[in-house]
Amino acid sequence: MSFSTVLSASIVGLKVEPVHVEADVSNGLPAFNMVGYLSSEVKEAAERVRTAIRNSGLDYPAKRTVINLSPANVKKRGAAFDLPIAVAILISLGKIRQREVGGMLVIGELGLDGRVQKVPGVLPILLQAKENGVKKCLLPKENAPEGALVGGVSVIGVETLRDAVEYLVGNRVIKPERRHDMYEEESGEELMPDYADICGQAAVKRATEVAVAGGHNLLLVGPPGSGKTMTARRIPTIFPPMTREESMEITKVYSILGMVDSERPLIRKRPFRNVHHTASKAALVGGGAIPAPGEISLAHEGVLFLDELPEFSKNVLEALRQPLEERKVYVARAHGTYQFPANFMLVGAMNPCPCGCYPDMNRCTCTPGQIQHYLSKLSQPFLDRMDICVEAPKVGYESLAGKGREECSAAIRERVCKARAIQNDRYAGSELLSNAMLGTKEIKRYCALGGKEERMMQKAFSRLGLTARTYHKILKVARTIADLDGAGQIGSVHLQEAIGYRTLDKKYWGR
Amino acid sequence: MEYEYWLAAMSMLPDRKKYLLRSHMKSAKAAYYIEETELGRLSFLNEKDCHTIKQARKDWDVPARYEALCKRGIRLVTVFDGEYPKRLGQLSDKPYALYVKGRLPDEQSCSVAVVGARRCTPYGEKYACDFSRRLAECGVQVISGLARGIDGMGHRGALMGKGKTFAVMGNGVDICYPQEHIGLYEDILACGGGILSELPPGTPPQGYHFPRRNRIISGLSDVVLVMEAKEKSGSLITADFGLEQGRDVYALPGPIDSGLSGGCNRLIAQGAGILLSPELLLEELEISGNLISGNISQKRLETEKVLETKEDMVYSSVCLQPKSVNDLIEETHLSAKEVLGSLAVLEIEGHVRQISKNHYVRS
Repeated sequence: MSFSTVLSASIVGLKVEPVHVEADVSNGLPAFNMVGYLSSEVKEAAERVRTAIRNSGLDYPAKRTVINLSPANVKKRGAAFDLPIAVAILISLGKIRQREVGGMLVIGELGLDGRVQKVPGVLPILLQAKENGVKKCLLPKENAPEGALVGGVSVIGVETLRDAVEYLVGNRVIKPERRHDMYEEESGEELMPDYADICGQAAVKRATEVAVAGGHNLLLVGPPGSGKTMTARRIPTIFPPMTREESMEITKVYSILGMVDSERPLIRKRPFRNVHHTASKAALVGGGAIPAPGEISLAHEGVLFLDELPEFSKNVLEALRQPLEERKVYVARAHGTYQFPANFMLVGAMNPCPCGCYPDMNRCTCTPGQIQHYLSKLSQPFLDRMDICVEAPKVGYESLAGKGREECSAAIRERVCKARAIQNDRYAGSELLSNAMLGTKEIKRYCALGGKEERMMQKAFSRLGLTARTYHKILKVARTIADLDGAGQIGSVHLQEAIGYRTLDKKYWGR
Repeated sequence: MEYEYWLAAMSMLPDRKKYLLRSHMKSAKAAYYIEETELGRLSFLNEKDCHTIKQARKDWDVPARYEALCKRGIRLVTVFDGEYPKRLGQLSDKPYALYVKGRLPDEQSCSVAVVGARRCTPYGEKYACDFSRRLAECGVQVISGLARGIDGMGHRGALMGKGKTFAVMGNGVDICYPQEHIGLYEDILACGGGILSELPPGTPPQGYHFPRRNRIISGLSDVVLVMEAKEKSGSLITADFGLEQGRDVYALPGPIDSGLSGGCNRLIAQGAGILLSPELLLEELEISGNLISGNISQKRLETEKVLETKEDMVYSSVCLQPKSVNDLIEETHLSAKEVLGSLAVLEIEGHVRQISKNHYVRS
């Protein structure tokens, strides 16, 4: 038979589009034509496929070959079409029967020697394929464990094109990859950094606990070398354990970028993304001609850490504002809008002044003008999204030598989980997930104050020069502190602690 | 007066020569209309000076310039005016003229210069403010330079004490430098004080103006108080001028390891007066006023009564040296939330102040 078709798939943003690879081999002037809105890496498949077929010991006669990837209106990218193209050609040449690939999805990249190499995006492709009723999938051996995460699809991993052909003609039996429930496995978290490593710094630790418990964004202010990064790195360890759905969701994002481990593909640890301040807008929020997820999506359900916050270019930081509100990011292009998940906790770190010594006037060499200039790099709307601000002090020798017994992450995590459970109950049935997401209307409803507390806040409002925004943030944070305490009503102790975490208005900061 | 302004504003001609020319010709008007031949004959003017004067005559629109000056509410006071401050008149290096917005210091009342570093600690700030306030309450005029830091706090304190305060600028009186002190600049004028400068209006601030204006600050005062100064500091120039001019110099002692008190401690070692309390200073100045002795200790007592134990523990650890929450946690052995909560209470009650994120000082 000269015409054949093989099912494959293409990734567009986070979405998966089924693609039918059609091949037609007929007599005529020898030629190899490929059509179907292809990007250059797909066009290059022609050379790889022809050579790989020949080098696999298969005969490739000089005939006229036409390949079409349909639907023709979806841009196809990546090298994952090599294997389906090769299989389609071999069907057309009569080496494989068409019915062998019925209901089967084929993906994989080919080397010139016929090796089948791993490709990104296997997990999302298979999840979608399962929904579309695909029963079997032929893919690179290295991707097999990742593919097997999706139960219900029989996953055949092949190492070479020759293996694939032999499997398809029935000369060889390849057992489907066993589904390995990695979610239940030990996650190896004991090897993670732990809160017990941080000595002293009680205020920072407590602030991170509150921040995680309520899903608040956190700003750490402290001199260079005060352990801001060290603390931030440990924040994921006090998050509630990841659910299976969360794990899959994150693994999907990582899979598209080809960042999953071949052996243990499921991501079990909360992501911690430390982004350098030279990062571009596209790198942070996602972008590219065909948008790929950025750092904020890689930090989904985890922590996005921006060190040296004022050094980031202003438009990069401003681009974070929308995803921080909506918990997902939309990247719009002429040919469509792409949506990526971005439910992350933002942890920013900065120095109190350019030299880092303020307010120690004996060592600080900055003028008030310089400090103001430094702070002015952060816009007020951006600062308004940081609910909690706390100072990370210089680490003294005692803290380094650290004899004191420090609380470990597990103990803190237990308290965080309790507070999260209270919030889940309270916000059941609504769109809200945590206290940080409360709007003005919800604050009125959920953060009601008693008479004594009301009077205290009134006094604080005028004495401390609070703005309406800082006032609301204090209430939200106080709600979280009360939840940590298991208290139904916000008490004055909760408010007082929340006041300590307020972001200073730039006007009053460093004067 | 129009011609006086013309003569005074001639920045290329040194003050001494302006003085000689004005005395020789008896009036500025006469100096303006002087014949060129006669100008050449004056022994104290060289060729360059003559050229300066001739050029100034050509460029200067006398009535229009003077009108513009008056419109901006700036007065000109030259050494030949009766109004010229007597204290300045004694100086060998006295300015030929002063431009004044608002008033000049009262000759009868005592005046005190409060000077110090622009980059200062909360300690210096607090006492610059406290001393100025107490002195102002007793009718003492506070003279300073409107700079950032100590100068600004000196003025602010005097205004809090409902007294008069005068700022001597290193630029034209119509320019507020530093800009962020515009509120202070206006408050000084609104409360019956004055902005003074020897530089004509419109002169921008220049580094070399400031050491020279310091002689006017000390010259206008009876006593110079140095609140905080490094070993090499502009404030010590003021103190030196003060000593040359025969003024009493007092310095605020500070920790010996604080670089910002180095200059003050050195002054004390060299024999300057030591500032122990506003009351002792007032006694030494023989100003009675309405002395309320033990003002500070009384406040402390009140504080203690109101505060609960936890807050009191935290408060007693907070001092004028900025301390971070972490320091306080370590000192008090309380938990992070207790310390943060207590600090919030203390902040709301106005006992402590947050000067940078989670760094607190007493207020």
